[in-house]
Amino acid sequence: METTLLSLAHGFSVAFEPTNLWYAFLGCLVGTLVGVLPGIGPLAGISILLPVTFGLNATQAIIMLAGIYYGSQYGGSTTSILMRIPGEASSVMTCIDGYAMAKKGRAGAALCIAAVGSWIGGTVGLLVLTLVAPPLATIAVRFGPPEYTALLVLGLIFLAYMSSSSLIRTLLMACLGLLLGMIGIDNMTGHFRYSFDLAELGDGIGIVPVAVGLFGLGEILSTPSAGAVKDIISPRMRELLPTRKEWSDAKMPIARGTLLGFIIGIIPGSAHVISSFLSYAIERRISRHPEQFGKGAVAGVAGPETANNAASTGAFVPLLALGIPTSPITAVLIGALMIHGVSVGPTLVNEHPDVFWGFVASMYVGNIMLLVLNLPLVSVFVSVLRIPYAYLYPMIIMFCIIGVYEVNNSIVDVWIMLIMGVLGYALRKFDFDPAPLVLGLVISPILEQSLRQSLIMSNGNYLIFFSRPISLGLMLVSIGLLVLAAYAFVLHRADWRTKLAEVEAGEKEL
Amino acid sequence: MTLRADHVAGAFFICVGLLIIALSGDLPTGTLSLPGSGFMPKIVAVLTIFFGLVLTLRASESRVFATVAWSDAKHAALVVAITALGAAAYEWLGFLTTNVLLIFTLLVVIERRKLLPAATYSVGIVVVTYVLFVHLLKTPLQTGPFGF
Repeated sequence: METTLLSLAHGFSVAFEPTNLWYAFLGCLVGTLVGVLPGIGPLAGISILLPVTFGLNATQAIIMLAGIYYGSQYGGSTTSILMRIPGEASSVMTCIDGYAMAKKGRAGAALCIAAVGSWIGGTVGLLVLTLVAPPLATIAVRFGPPEYTALLVLGLIFLAYMSSSSLIRTLLMACLGLLLGMIGIDNMTGHFRYSFDLAELGDGIGIVPVAVGLFGLGEILSTPSAGAVKDIISPRMRELLPTRKEWSDAKMPIARGTLLGFIIGIIPGSAHVISSFLSYAIERRISRHPEQFGKGAVAGVAGPETANNAASTGAFVPLLALGIPTSPITAVLIGALMIHGVSVGPTLVNEHPDVFWGFVASMYVGNIMLLVLNLPLVSVFVSVLRIPYAYLYPMIIMFCIIGVYEVNNSIVDVWIMLIMGVLGYALRKFDFDPAPLVLGLVISPILEQSLRQSLIMSNGNYLIFFSRPISLGLMLVSIGLLVLAAYAFVLHRADWRTKLAEVEAGEKEL
Repeated sequence: MTLRADHVAGAFFICVGLLIIALSGDLPTGTLSLPGSGFMPKIVAVLTIFFGLVLTLRASESRVFATVAWSDAKHAALVVAITALGAAAYEWLGFLTTNVLLIFTLLVVIERRKLLPAATYSVGIVVVTYVLFVHLLKTPLQTGPFGF
């Protein structure tokens, strides 16, 4: 405990360096804008801006990119409350009661509660992250190939189970991602696979062109400009403070949202989306006045907004302690660190303490910056939405090209982005969520290598995964989840995931 | 039989799986104790075919294919075509020229904006981005035949 506090103090000394403070601020500012703008989510935002970090060191880069990630969670609430447009997926639930509050003239109070809830969720999540990640990393050092294989299989199954789209659709997307991840030179034998004599494909397909194509360009292709301009409510500064009753109504949902969000954040999948949905469902279930939900209930804003920020922080636990991405966003962050020569995993805390603790401490600072940024400047952020989409998307396409090209100075990557954009457009038409594809792409090389190493270790005996305590435990959880998922799938039972899919598709309200 | 969206999607994934198996012909599968480079791709390809089949068999739950809305397809196709031209010209013309032309074409051809505002916006936004990246962020951008 004492060591942790000393290390955190060292982290603060890194985070408070003026340049690091500047990049944390820049990340938060850009992240808020990314969250505010519909059609460009945190994943595309981080991927597009990755080349901006090339001139920075690893600590500055991760501080800025993480700022974009959690900043977008804050910014997403703004468009949800003021325009009923979720700036990004995790703000879908905030639309319902946030916009209803805005219609009643309580837009400022809704924004304030969302910002304070997000800050509490993010900060408490960070406290737990600070305490949990280093000891978990110590345990993870003992992981061998069978444990990593079991963990990654569990991650994929968890992703499929938790996904709001159907189990089969998620697994198909993950398979497609795994297949894309196998393009290039096989690390263990040196064989070229599916590279069609293109030298650029020898190193495989990068996550950046795929993520930018699927989530940046794909979103632009699916958004015709005619439908993008909406009426905007702009609250005044003096309207921002909630009443005493509104604070009182928000208190417990914020506490529950923090706990729920952090736990779900650790689990692979689109954690921040799921956490906000579950938080809304729980708040409505336990409320004394469930009839107020959908008509401007404070708990309907406080719970989901807190939960999605706590989940964003929770997602950093497996990233920092195990080096395993639980979402496409954390996968891009791993890629960013690798570009800067830092390999993420259990050894990160010992080998790069400046990066690890500087990053953790900067998140405390970043959360305060966001609170200060979001409330007074809300009308400034909202004014960005007045730029016609017809002028906005050509600029986003330009940033997509820069972002993708600059990573490897390769035009092949730009062509891959374009192909992925078309694929993303088609996948949306057929109701597929592209997120598991990106996750599959990232874990594919790790999964393949650890599986093959495990089989070599055991002389081809699959029982190796059931003969070591950690991998046995992980495999049993995987089997349990598969049984649960198959039960719902075979009996066509509608559970919370089906409801989440319906709400995300805008088919019905909770 | 009514053609549904999942019939088409399922058939696509089955074809992807079959294509991977066909392309994996020269990759050694190896043995269980020493898996080769074709081992994992073939397993995942078989899983893709299996899940594609399940999707096709359960397609009755999905929308009728004819009801899938393609009204935005023309906009999407134009954006892809113009961006593809931009990608083709990028290494030849460089960042500044390509992007000015790309944004200008998108605004004039797709969005039907007037020439002068479109030209002003294109030049303005690209020059600001160039200065931001090259001079403030010290990230070099692709240069063209004129040295910028």
